[in-house]
This record gives sequence, structure tokens and C-alpha cells, in this order.
Amino acid sequence: MKMTSTQHETQAATAATGEQFEPKIIAFCCNWCSYAGADLAGVSRLQMPTNFLVLRAMCSARVDPEHVLRAFSKGADGVMVLGCHPADCHYIGGNYRTRRRIALLKMLLEQYGLDPERLKLEWVSASEGVKFQNTVTDFVEMIREMGPNPLIEAEKQHKAERAKYGH
Amino acid sequence: MSNDMGAVMVVGGGISGVQTALDLAESGFKVYVVENKPSIGGVMSQLDKTFPTNDCSMCILSPKLVELARHPLIDLMTLSEVTEVSGEAPNFKVKVRHNPRYVDMDKCVGCGICADKCPVKVPNEYDEGLMERKAIYVPFAQAVPLKYTIDEARCLKLTKDRCGLCEKNCPAGAINYDDKPVEETVDVGAIILAPGFDAFDARLKREYGYGDYQNVLTSVEFERFLSATGPYGGHILRPSDQEAPKKVAFLQCVGSRDSNTNEYCSSVCCMYGIKQAIIAGEHTAGLEPSIFFMDIRAVGKEFEDYRARAENEYGIRMLRGTRVASIDEDPDTKNLYLRYAVDGEVFEEEFDMVILSVGLEPPKGANELSQVFNVDLNRFGFAGTDVYSPLSSSKPGVFVTGAFASPKDIPTSVAEASGAAAKAGAFIAEKRGAVEELDIEEIDVEGQEPRIGVFVCDCGINIRGTVDCPAVTDYSKNLSNVVHAEEMKYACSADAQQRIREVINDENLNRVVVASCTPRTHEALFQSTLKEAGLNPYLFEMANIRDQCSWIHQNEPERATKKSMDLVRMAVAKSRLLEPLTESKLPVTRSGVVIGGGISGMTAALDMAAQGFEVDLLEKTGELGGNAIKIFHEEDGRKVRDFANELVSRVSNTSNITVHLNTPVEDISGFVGNFKVKIRDEEIETGSIIVAVGAKEYVPKEYFYGDDKRVVTQLELENKMQQGPLDAKTIAMIQCVGSRNTEAPYCSRVCCSNAIKNAISIKKENPQAQVFVFHKDIRTYGFREDLYKEAGRLGVDFVRIPEDQPPELSKEGESLKMTARDTILGEDLVIRPDMVVLSTGIRPNEDNEELAKMLKVPLSKDKFFLEAHMKLRPVEFATNGVYLAGLAHWPKFVDESIAQASGAASRAITVISKPELKSEGIIAAVNEDLCDGCGICEPVCEYKAITITENPKNPEKKKAMVNEGLCKGCGGCVAACPSAAMEQRGFKNEQIIAAIDAALEESE
Amino acid sequence: MAKKVSIAQYWGAGCGGCDVALLDIDERILGVAEMADIAFWPIAVDTKLKDVEAMPDKSITITLYNGAIRNSENEHVAKLLRQKSQIMVSFGSCACYGGIPGLANVTNKKAIMDYVYNKTFSSINPDETLPQVKYQAPEGELELPVLYDTVLTLDDVVDVDYYMPGCPPAVSLINEFLDIVEKHVKEGADLPPKGSFIASQKTLCDECGREKSYEPIDRIYLPHEIDIDPEKCMLDQGVICLGPATRAGCGAQCLNANQPCRGCMGPTAAVEDHGGSMLSALASIFRTADNETHLSEDDILKMMSEIKDPLGTFYAFTMPKSIIKRKVTERKAEVSE
Ligand code: SF4
Ligand code: SF4
Ligand code: SF4
Ligand code: FES
Repeated sequence: MKMTSTQHETQAATAATGEQFEPKIIAFCCNWCSYAGADLAGVSRLQMPTNFLVLRAMCSARVDPEHVLRAFSKGADGVMVLGCHPADCHYIGGNYRTRRRIALLKMLLEQYGLDPERLKLEWVSASEGVKFQNTVTDFVEMIREMGPNPLIEAEKQHKAERAKYGH
Repeated sequence: MSNDMGAVMVVGGGISGVQTALDLAESGFKVYVVENKPSIGGVMSQLDKTFPTNDCSMCILSPKLVELARHPLIDLMTLSEVTEVSGEAPNFKVKVRHNPRYVDMDKCVGCGICADKCPVKVPNEYDEGLMERKAIYVPFAQAVPLKYTIDEARCLKLTKDRCGLCEKNCPAGAINYDDKPVEETVDVGAIILAPGFDAFDARLKREYGYGDYQNVLTSVEFERFLSATGPYGGHILRPSDQEAPKKVAFLQCVGSRDSNTNEYCSSVCCMYGIKQAIIAGEHTAGLEPSIFFMDIRAVGKEFEDYRARAENEYGIRMLRGTRVASIDEDPDTKNLYLRYAVDGEVFEEEFDMVILSVGLEPPKGANELSQVFNVDLNRFGFAGTDVYSPLSSSKPGVFVTGAFASPKDIPTSVAEASGAAAKAGAFIAEKRGAVEELDIEEIDVEGQEPRIGVFVCDCGINIRGTVDCPAVTDYSKNLSNVVHAEEMKYACSADAQQRIREVINDENLNRVVVASCTPRTHEALFQSTLKEAGLNPYLFEMANIRDQCSWIHQNEPERATKKSMDLVRMAVAKSRLLEPLTESKLPVTRSGVVIGGGISGMTAALDMAAQGFEVDLLEKTGELGGNAIKIFHEEDGRKVRDFANELVSRVSNTSNITVHLNTPVEDISGFVGNFKVKIRDEEIETGSIIVAVGAKEYVPKEYFYGDDKRVVTQLELENKMQQGPLDAKTIAMIQCVGSRNTEAPYCSRVCCSNAIKNAISIKKENPQAQVFVFHKDIRTYGFREDLYKEAGRLGVDFVRIPEDQPPELSKEGESLKMTARDTILGEDLVIRPDMVVLSTGIRPNEDNEELAKMLKVPLSKDKFFLEAHMKLRPVEFATNGVYLAGLAHWPKFVDESIAQASGAASRAITVISKPELKSEGIIAAVNEDLCDGCGICEPVCEYKAITITENPKNPEKKKAMVNEGLCKGCGGCVAACPSAAMEQRGFKNEQIIAAIDAALEESE
Repeated sequence: MAKKVSIAQYWGAGCGGCDVALLDIDERILGVAEMADIAFWPIAVDTKLKDVEAMPDKSITITLYNGAIRNSENEHVAKLLRQKSQIMVSFGSCACYGGIPGLANVTNKKAIMDYVYNKTFSSINPDETLPQVKYQAPEGELELPVLYDTVLTLDDVVDVDYYMPGCPPAVSLINEFLDIVEKHVKEGADLPPKGSFIASQKTLCDECGREKSYEPIDRIYLPHEIDIDPEKCMLDQGVICLGPATRAGCGAQCLNANQPCRGCMGPTAAVEDHGGSMLSALASIFRTADNETHLSEDDILKMMSEIKDPLGTFYAFTMPKSIIKRKVTERKAEVSE
């Protein structure tokens, strides 16, 4: 069944205030490569937007798809999962699990109507400060383009409906 | 730690030195690491990726460097050199000079403000001079130790008494212009030399124009180009015009295999050349790499595969047997013209960029080292060693490891480094000690409402320069459960630790949050402060508001401040749910089992026994000695067979080795420190297991072998030559029989050298004999290149045949006829040999699979045993406590097997020398009420730490069990568990979710 | 003997199977009748809503509410019964998690209305007239319930005391619960703590007798694509089974019929998102390849695409109780690369 866009009740709201939309992004980083890469970006004073907050896990494989879903449901506009390059995982093949989960999760997000591009898996090594910077900067820009997480608007509408009919 | 603990001195802080030091310290010995540079890491820290796995070099190295710097038994002496050695093993006295750093290591916090202010720019050695540093500097961002150094030759204050800016600006008061050299004498039982190597100076090859032509680079420089931290951030650009090159030539053997420079083969350049070509192609679209080489010496594990992929998958152009004669530069375009010959025809070809794969040379100070330590060098200037004792120098008690003994790759260096540790440890085995534990009673916080203390660090102006630290501190005060918040100038300084301890006690804190720099470098420090104050160290959380906030948002102070508040809020939210964790202790059976009684197995057993451990040596056949017993040829003037026999008698005369002949392994259970090995009617308990089961010779099906007596293998030839002169005038040797084909695509490493050795013997005995060697490449790497040269001198005919066209052997009446394609002459060669010698490859044992299953360890696709990591963990399996040596790992020479066996022994000793093992704190734990034994988690664990067992509460049901000795705490199983029964301590779901929720909570 | 109790059973947005399940307890129903009055059960007895409205608060001992909350009438009755009952039981998967009707959350009210009244083959509706909430009929004003855009669970709208999942709940669970109630009524025994699930606290693998290998899997089969070995774990055979993520208590009926578990019992207590937990589990046990370093994320996506329709597979019964709850729609970003 195809739906036309006018049928959607949840349209991404364009910020009416005229102010630039500031995305909120959660970045899961593994301790050994991507977190180290983020640190290196800092040591090298590579500048990037402030819109992301890093959560450290020992390995990207600790990131549970439920954590990602949780972040989206709590209003994250984008989620990044950053780990070691294939073959570099400190725990041998942790990132191989990660990439499978994230691939499947992206398929799920798409079915939920979220743009799967809101979830990004990237490999950043301990020496790739610049890659960390670019990954973050590009992602923030892309999400800015995409607009806010539509779940938030949907939640608002849902609340409005409840207020109207929910006795 | 006690003063009479046995000590070892390690000279050199590259990967070899680091590994050997870690092994010794883990085995309970005191280690002094002397490094003449300001930081450790050696050449490996300069590399971008490593072959054949393309691992990121820094990623795998830096955890080891950090571990070394933190180890309580290791004394790291940077900017230091040994000036004098006296005494004999095990009573050496070593005089060390500590050169001035001009920065007080205790005070410097590594903030780098000094370097910001310093006006003097100097080309940075780390980047091969391609980038700049200041006169006060750290060599590279992840340097260990992260302490600044003043370059005395360039500092204005020290040279001209001007400037003094760093002293004025250092907020920690760490600068000391009056620093002087200090001498110190230490007592050690043994010494290990690991000074590494230096790269060949490409300027000496005048014809390549290095130094004059801008677009001619050495491979070491190019490595920095490839690195994300290099001059162009990982992009490949021509130095002359910063344009991306299209055609790039890699020239192999620059300063190797060359009578004008170095005659030996540098062993590693082929592979790193291929690696650089592959990575360069990946970094720059449209780049066309060409490699000019004589032979590709892809002799290591998976190397041949890597080479094939480079050619077939990455489309790298390989010009085999081609040495470039000279290079000319077009002065306008700065393009380069390479002149070379193929099949006698001369070509000139234009390239945009040329990379010279420079060879490895002995380290610059090798001569001084040899004098100070009184050790011999060989004729190439490397440390002199013997095939049968590859780690020993000429001086008893002084060992060598890494490229100092001969050019070699990283895994071989690492294996040797461990091996040297085993050898050195034998001198001081009875003086083994242990790290002394801090004995402070822990405050019980069970059931208490969280009382959180937040400490916000200014890091001088590193954080406060951007972030409004007082505002962040105020904000923290208002977060629930925070009972104390305080700003600190340097949270990591010694007085700050004192202050944190006081606050913990005064305010009865049961959680501590520090908002400062990165937990990767500082968590351990704060955790020990908690410990000293009586708090469990896991009740600690960090907010990284420097590296990941103030430094990367320097122009947005307001937002950076808000983000710091967000980060603190997240840390506080997680800390509320933190629990005290204990590292559980597991007992260790302090003995070893070695499976396989060949040279490797016997060596490993002897090394463990030499340090006082009981060893059970299991051999499935009726005699010790393995393949070596059948090898008649000589190495370093002695028959391999004789050496093997000597080992056999040493093993039988060693009282703490029990030999079990005709004993196959029936079953293995248990885990690190506590294995049970079942044999016949006995069960041996052991702390560690070494797999040294060897491999076997390929039995040819081709070339009438077995049907025609004139067709023999190299081993049979050796045997024949023992019995008297050969009655053959024309002898054809065929290389790669059973190697480098579809059935066994790998190179067996040793056949080239062994064949040539036999060819030389034949020629020496009967100069009239005609010996042909039919080969694809001649892979006499390292000093074995000598053999190749000698054979050439003696008139052995080397015929290079195509990769995919082996020689054909047929019969014409009674005589043999051989036809082969000669690629150099470009024509078919026909000979009628009276003897054909097959250089047969090495094949893995058929029962490897069975043993691998029992040990729960993997095999490579060629069915050799597969180590945990091909670069940095070459002798161990991912399964803790199980180690690997010899041909079971990969084809190799006797000296390599011996070094590797000692390495395996050393790794095993790091386990069995401890009375108990400690598990990690942050490991996985099963909630038995929730687990249903679904088994999803089991295959997820890379360390085989999970088993599904009978539920003790209900034997009909199953449940998962985590072996605390094996779990490394990655959390992979936790995310997999579909019923949230598996949790990771310190990273529990509720803790992570609390942080997520806090992150997304609207601040203000 | 203690006083008789009264029971109500109501059918919200559901298929009616739960009502039938209650009848499936066979002769036990007589015991129920002996113990309890039926205060309200539209398919069995003729009580009107206004009769319920007239009852004093808390006069019904137990309400078994089945079906999801799909419209304003479902919600109204749920609230009314909550007010009149001492114990509210979320009965069946629809009430607990949204169940199959909950899958309506992949679309929305407008689209559903449009499809049902305009687009099906049997609908002839040239004026595209849609049902109205209020309609002026000659007999007076009629009011129809409002269809909600988002399907809700019972506990989204009222306080729930006990949960009894299942599509429908297994007879054994119903009996178990009746025993508890009977003991409570007759002997004054304690009721279980509020919020309890009347089911197993473990997942189905705990009940399932199939043999497992604990090996990674290489590919996925749909149940009809292979001959399923009745002795072996479904996952080992490459058949997606939600057993490891799904609460037991059903008696493994599907598995006994050689069909994989589809998850009607929902997750166990510690799991927040049923589908997400199974998704992660399944992705985690896919075999890692030897040539992993040569695989791109696109290759991995292809590998995982063997799992068709993750939402339908992992959330068939629990979408309204999932973390994300419903589908939203947004414009796709232009994919650069
Ligand atoms: S400013 Fe001082 S404390 Fe900071 S790095 Fe320089 S010397 Fe060390
Ligand atoms: S995945 Fe979870 S429930 Fe299943 S066996 Fe492992 S710990 Fe137990
Ligand atoms: S996954 Fe399914 S088939 Fe396998 S044990 Fe669990 S319930 Fe049974
Ligand atoms: S440790 Fe980085 S992905 Fe596993």
C-alpha cells in the first residue's frame, strides 16, 4: 500500500522560529579505537560542531540495538556507532557482530519510517582524528538537513489526540 | 616490591623491547627499560597499517605502550643510555645516564601550552621531517610517556639564553632549564638488547635521485603520507605540487641485495611495499601503483594470499625480476623517468611519484652497543647469533631480540622478544617476586543512597580557557545525589589526589565523578585514589570535557560549557547506578604441558623447566626429535639432526620434564591456569598448554615420484649424499612442489634455501655437475641471500619459470626429459636430467582439526593453527593460557622455531608464575533467574568464555556460565542476550540507559 | 464458604479468540460459575453497559480485559471497568502488547479509512464518504467511536494489576490464575504482587525440549523451505524462532506443532523491547566470515537482507509496546556516496 505524503500526519516540523535547527546526536564509541580517535581529534585541536555526546563502551559490540532505539525514542536526531576497523577490534570480532546488528537495525528503522541514515556505523581508528572530525561534522550537517527526529513530532500529535479523546 | 627481586635490563623501547619487558614483568621480575628517545614505541608507532591484515598500527600498539608505562614492576627510563656494564650474569652492574629533559616529569601534565607558546619550529623526526614540531615537544600525540621535552640543540633559552616563554607559561611550573644529566647504577641479572634498526639512507643510491627529486620518497616517509596523522592527513599528494599522483612506482630492494650497499635481503620490504601499494590505491582513487622487484618474498603466514590479492583484486602492476637502473626528473613537471630492462629490452617510463622501499640496517649505535655490552656483531653489523641459539649474544646473560639480530618483521620480533624474556628469566628464576597489593579496607556502600562528589578540572587553561568551569561546577551541585562539587586547577596533580581523598572521607562520598580529560589515560589514576580512600575503584566515572569538548569546540565557549554540563549530567546519572566490583581470583596450577616433541616442543619444555616449572611433554610417536631428526644438512656448521639429538638428551636429563611417548591427547578441559589434559589413563592438571605439534613434508604425487628412483625429495637427496658421492651429472631441482598451487596456495618458506644449500654441496663436491633450479621466485630472505649468491658463483643455473606453468617431466625411453619455460630468456628450455630433486612443501598435520577442537582454538584456512593476532600476538591463541610454536603455526626455519618456542614458553610462564590470576572487573555476569540457556551468547564470545551448562538449581534446565578467567569484558554477549540475563559489570543496561536518557534530557 | 465473587470479561480490539479461550477451560467453567457471578460478558450474558455504569465502584472482583485499545469505545469501557473492578487483568497479547491489531501502527488512521472505504475491490464509494463520529439520523444523533491513529495497550490507558499474555492465553495459564483466585476467595490466600505476569518468568527456550548446537548460523530459511527436524532447535536449522526472546508459559505449542515461535507471549520482565532484543540476538549469531575485512557494510546489509521484514518478524505481537511504538514517515535524505 502506497501512501502519499499528504496522508502523513507526522511531518518533520520546520523550525518556525527561524533559528537554525540544532540536532542532538548520540555517538557510541568503543574504548580502543574510535574513542581514542576522538581523543586524538581533541589532542590535535580539530574543531567540530558541539551537537554530539559520546558514550563510551569497551567495544562497539556492547551497543545493544535497544540502546539505539531508546536514544531515538528519547529524542536523539541521529545516532552514531563508531568502532574499530574490521580486523582491528580489540576483542577480535566484536565489530563483526556490531555491523550485522546495525545493518538489521537500519532495515528496521526504515520500516518504522525513520530514515535509516539517521543511524550511522563508521570505523574510526585510534590514529584517525581527522576521520572522527569529518564523520561527526558531516553527520551533524546531514542531520541538520534532514530536520528533527520525526518521532518527537509524532509524540506531540499523539499527546494531542489523547488530550482530545482520551477522556 | 622487595629489593632482592630479580631484575632485567631491556635496552630499547620499540615493539621488541616493550614486549620483552611486559613478559618479564608479568612473570614477576623487575624490569628497567632504557630508551634513548623521549618516548617509546619505535618504528612501529610511525607505521600506518600493517600487513597482511591491514591492521592499524597505532591501534594495536598503543595499549601495550600504556600498559608498560603503568606496570608497577617496570621502570621506564627515557632519554637514557647505558654507559658501562661490569660483572657477569647474573650479577651485572649497569651504569645508566639519564639525559636532561628540562621538564619535570612529575609536574608536567602534558597539556602542551608550552609548545603552543614556543617560537622555534623544528622538523619533526616522527614524521620524517615532513611536519614541524616546536623546540619543546612530544614526538607524537599518543606518545608514552606524555611528557614534554626540550630539544637542547634548538631551544633559544638553552642555546642563547633568550625567550624562556615555556617557563613563563607552564601552569604546572614543570620547566627546569638547569636540568643536568644524572648517572645511576642498577644491578640486573640479565640484559636484553632490543635497539631495533635504522633504515637505509637512500641518498647513497645516487642513481635514484633521492634528496634531489622532490617526488622521490622513501618508504618510511611514504608511511607517514599514508597515515591519518601524517602531513596530508592520509591523502597521497606529490610533495612538488600537492597534486594527487596517478602513476606511482615502488622500487624494491633499495639498499638490499645489492653488492654496492647491503648484500643481505631485508626480509620485510616486499610485503610492506605491497601493503603500501594497496593502501595508497585505497586512499586515492585512480592511483596506479607499479612494483618493480626481483623476487617477491611472501614467505609468511597469509603473505602469498596478500600478494595474490594485490595483483588480482587490487590490480597492482607487478614487474617481476626488474630492477630500475636509474631515474631522471623532468625539471618542469617534476615527473620521473624510470629506466629498466625486461627480457633484455630497455624501457623508459614516466611516473608521477616514486617510492623507494629502503632496506633495514643495523641501528646507528650498534658499534657502541657492542663495545659497552661486549657482544660480537656479524659481518653485516647486526648482532652475532647462532642458528641454534638465535636469541643469545656472544656474551652469556646478554640476549638480543628484534631487528638487531637480523632484519625481520613485527610478529617474528614479538615472538623473539617473548623468547628473550624466557631466556633472561632463567638467570633470576629463584628471585621471582610479585606486585605488592595495597592493603586498605574497603568502605561498604551497599544499600546506601548515592552521595556523589563531582570534581571539575580546569586543566590549567586547557578546559577553563573555553569552558566556564565555575558554571559547570555550580550546575553539578544541583544535580540530584550530588553532595559536593568542586573546581580544581589540575585534577590529576598529586595535591588534587590528596584533596579528593579528603573530600571522600569528609563528605562520606560513595561515588566520584571527575570531569576532566580522557579515561583512557587518567581513569586508572583516579581509581587508585578512590582505592586509597577506601572506596571501591569502580564507583568512579569520568566526563571527558577536555579532549572531547574544550579542545574541539574552542571557538564556541557557550556551547562547550553547555556540552560540559551535559557530559557531567550523563556521568552523574551513570554513577548513581554504579556498583562496587571485585576482581575475582582464580587459582593456578603452576606447571605446563607441551604437546609435540620436536625441536619446538623440546625447546619450550626446556625453557619452562629452566625457570623451575614442572613440564609434561607429550609426543604421539615413539621418539622425540620430530622432523629435525631427518635433516642431515648443516646450519652454522652443525647438522640439524645432531642438534636435535642433543636436545633429546638434555630433555631426558632434566628432572622436571616428564616425557610421555606414544601419547596422543585424548581430551582437554578447563581454562587458563586450570587445564586438565587427558592422556591414556591419566589426567594431567596444568596451568598452560603449548601446541608444538609440528607439520609434515608433502609427499609428491607428481613427476613420477615413487615410480622412478631418479626422482627424489630434497630430504632424500641429503640422505643419499651422506652415503657417498652422487652418481648424477645433470641434476634438476624443482621448487614449489606442493606449494603455491591451488591445493596449497601458500609458500613453504624454507624450500628455496634448503634446495640451494644442497645445490651448493653438490657443486662443491663435483664442480662438473650441472645443477638447475627451476623456481618462480627465489626466497632466500635475510642473511640467507648469501646462499643464493654463493650458488650463483658456483655456477648453479637458476631458471625462473612462470607462476602458473610448472616444468614438465616426461620419459624418452629410459631417459628423463624436462621442459620448462624460462621467463628471463623468454624461451623453452629442454634438459635431460639424471636426477630430479623435488623441493617439497610443508603441510599441516591432518589431526590438527581434532586437537583444535579439544583446545577450542581456530585453524587458518590452510589448516595451520591460527594465533590470536597475526602481528602482536604471534605465539598465543585467543583462548587464554594456550600457546603456539613451530611448524604447527607455519613453515619456518630451525632458528625461527627455536625463538618462537622460547616465546611460547615465556607467554606460558606469565601465567604459571603467578599463584593466582585476577579476572577483569568489568566482565560479563549471568543473572541465573533470567537465563534460560538459550545459548545465543555462546557463539558470540570470541574468547570461548561462555559455556551452556546444566542449571545447578534444576538439572533438567540449562544456563549460561561465564568463565571469569576467560572473559575480557567486551560486552558482545550482553547485547546479544535476548532476555537481558547477561549483563556487563560496569556497563549494565540500566547504567547505559541512564546515561542515554540523561544525555537527551533538556538541560536548563 | 466465602461469598461469591463477580467476574467481567470484555473484548476490545481483538479477534475474539480470547473469549473462546476462556470457554476452552471446559468443565472448569462450572467451578467458575459456582465461585463467581458473571457481572458482564457481552458474548455470553446480556448485560448492557448502562447496567455496569450503575454498579457501585469496585463491585466487580475481577475484570479480564482482552483486546487492544483501538478506539474511544475500547478506552471508555476499559476505564469504566477499571472503576468498577478490584482487579484488572490484561488478558491476552492484544491487551498486553497490542497484539496483531497493534500492527496497524505501521500505518495510520487516514490511510486505513481510505483503504477500507475507497480502495478495496468491493468498495463502491464514488463520493469517498467516510464514517463520521457524529451522524444525524432520522431517529436522532448517532455517535460512533473515534478510531485512534495509534493502537494502545490496556495499561496505556488504565492501571493494570495482572498480565496474562498469549494469543490466546494458554488454558493452563487461565487455570493457574483461576486457582490463585479461588484460593484467594476461598482460603484468603495472598494474591501475587501487582504487575505480575501470569506466565513463566523465563523464555521459551527454557520450556522447549529441542536439542541445540550453540553454533552460529549461516543462513535463514522460511519454515516452508525446509523439512524441519522436530528434534533440533529451529535456529540451528536457520529458521527464525522468537523462542529465546519470548516469555514461556504457552507450553511451546507452536514448537510442538513443528512451527517456530512467533513471539505472542511478549518479552520477559527485564527486556524493554521484544523485537529489538531478538533482532540483536539473531544478528549476533550470524557466522562471521573469513574474509570479513573485505566485506563492505553493503555486503553485510545484503547478508542481513535474508531476514525479510524485520518489523513484522520481530514485532508481530508487540509493536505498540515497543520502544518506538508506531511508524512515522519522513522524507529520505539524499544519500551522498
Ligand atoms: S605547559 Fe608545563 S605542564 Fe603543560 S605540557 Fe608544558 S611543561 Fe607540561
Ligand atoms: S543469551 Fe542470555 S538467556 Fe541465552 S543463554 Fe546466554 S545469558 Fe542465558
Ligand atoms: S530458539 Fe526456538 S527452537 Fe530453539 S530452543 Fe529456543 S524456543 Fe526452542
Ligand atoms: S574494541 Fe573497538 S570495535 Fe571492538
